[in-house]
Amino acid sequence: MKKVIDAHALTKLYKIPHEKRTTLFETAVGYMRRQLSYEPFYALHNINFSIQSGEIIGLIGKNGSGKTTLLKILGGVLHPTSGSCAIQGVVAPFLSLGVGFHHELTAEENLYLYGAILGLSRKEIKEKMPEILAFAEVERFKDMKLKHFSAGMTGRLAFSLMTQTNPDILLIDEIFAVGDKDFTPKSLSLLQKYRDEGKTVIVASHSLDLIEQYADRVLLLENGTIKMFGTPKEVIAHYQSS
Amino acid sequence: MLLHHNIRLQVLQQYKKSMRLSWTQKCIILTYMHGIRKHANLIYELARADFKLKYYGSFTGLLWSFLKPFFMLLILYGVFFHILKVDTPYYPWFLLLGIIVWNFFADTTKESMQSISAKAHILRNVNISPIIAVLSTFLHLLWTFTITLVVFGILLGIFRVPFSGNIFLILFLLLLLVLVTLGVSLLTAPLFTRFRDFGHLWDILLQMFFWILPITYSHSLVPESYRVWYLTNPLTRIIIYLRDTILYHNTPDASALLYTALSSFVLFAIGVLFFMRQQKALIEHL
Repeated sequence: MKKVIDAHALTKLYKIPHEKRTTLFETAVGYMRRQLSYEPFYALHNINFSIQSGEIIGLIGKNGSGKTTLLKILGGVLHPTSGSCAIQGVVAPFLSLGVGFHHELTAEENLYLYGAILGLSRKEIKEKMPEILAFAEVERFKDMKLKHFSAGMTGRLAFSLMTQTNPDILLIDEIFAVGDKDFTPKSLSLLQKYRDEGKTVIVASHSLDLIEQYADRVLLLENGTIKMFGTPKEVIAHYQSS
Repeated sequence: MLLHHNIRLQVLQQYKKSMRLSWTQKCIILTYMHGIRKHANLIYELARADFKLKYYGSFTGLLWSFLKPFFMLLILYGVFFHILKVDTPYYPWFLLLGIIVWNFFADTTKESMQSISAKAHILRNVNISPIIAVLSTFLHLLWTFTITLVVFGILLGIFRVPFSGNIFLILFLLLLLVLVTLGVSLLTAPLFTRFRDFGHLWDILLQMFFWILPITYSHSLVPESYRVWYLTNPLTRIIIYLRDTILYHNTPDASALLYTALSSFVLFAIGVLFFMRQQKALIEHL
């Protein structure tokens, strides 16, 4: 067990302009009037925590509590306004599944594209193609355009490809929303296998019973601060009572 | 790969603090180039998907990319040859080459503006630099340009236009064209992402450039007193020298080529530096 994520006084401040300036004209007028007023909004405020290797962490909280912002900072997409976040190992950001999918391309073509986004080469994907399609249970539809796929099939395809990358830390935002009664346990047992291999999995979800069942520790966010970080049972009980 | 990118972003942050090119900053640019090479596969796949989507399953997609310059040629030829009585030798070929080069420049700079917002869903969720989006758009337009050039070469052959240019010189000039176009695209892309009305301004500027550049007329018609200024633009020189080499069997002299190469590199460098300064803020503007 070693410490893989160590966040110290992590803060993300959004400056929400009273009128957002998106054109040259508005910016010029704004500068002349000297009205550059902002509304400060702390998406994350002074967060401290550390996570070990070989843990499944559940991330819960109401909408707008900062779950996605935290995952994006861990994934390196957003940068903290202040504070630090030290990460050991390769992070694979699966913030929303199938983010690079294009509906006019076939399943196979999409896998090459999405694979490239995740850092896999064409050759690697070609080798693993049968396995990916089999896990997603869509072998028969590999030459079908993605627009004819159901949301569940698309989600399964994305998750299945994700499992082919070999990261140390996995960040997942709401995977259980897409799976059916067969696929969800299959993906969860895969996450457990990852944990046993010493990888760290961080899952943001609203499915409390699944989090309670599979997570080792649960982090509850409220208005950008950590409300509670502990065993699933305690934290979820606290969340439901509040 | 992703870890490597984090290191790169950190050095980029340090870079942002000043624009002077110190030793460490030169290292940063090298690191940056290294990062792009690492992302070559992603750039290629994105370009391939864009190319496929543009011409998907239909012959008309590719046909239109030839019909557009063809109709432009017909209109401009009608006006300049029959109404204004231009007497430039090989005028249709002169015009066609100008139009092909122009279309590449105009289409690329315009499409790069959209490229970042078109790939916003990826950039917002995965830790990759927005330059990937611009480079992939650039690559797919470069493929279209290459096909157009091949067709142009075939047409020259079919119509038996005497052609004896130095192939290396032509490739060198095309490389400079690629550098200039990429440099300008790296300026327009962040500007459009930041200021949504920049697109209108760029349309006006493109109209202006179309008539400033020697596309429809020969640069020899420009008054002698303006000639020095007229030739400062590397794109002007690239068009002139490409025609000289391909159609008129003149080889531009070495000092002229050297100036063109240097000014193209400067334009390219400005684009790269500007983009690097802007790129971190870009994600938040999406």
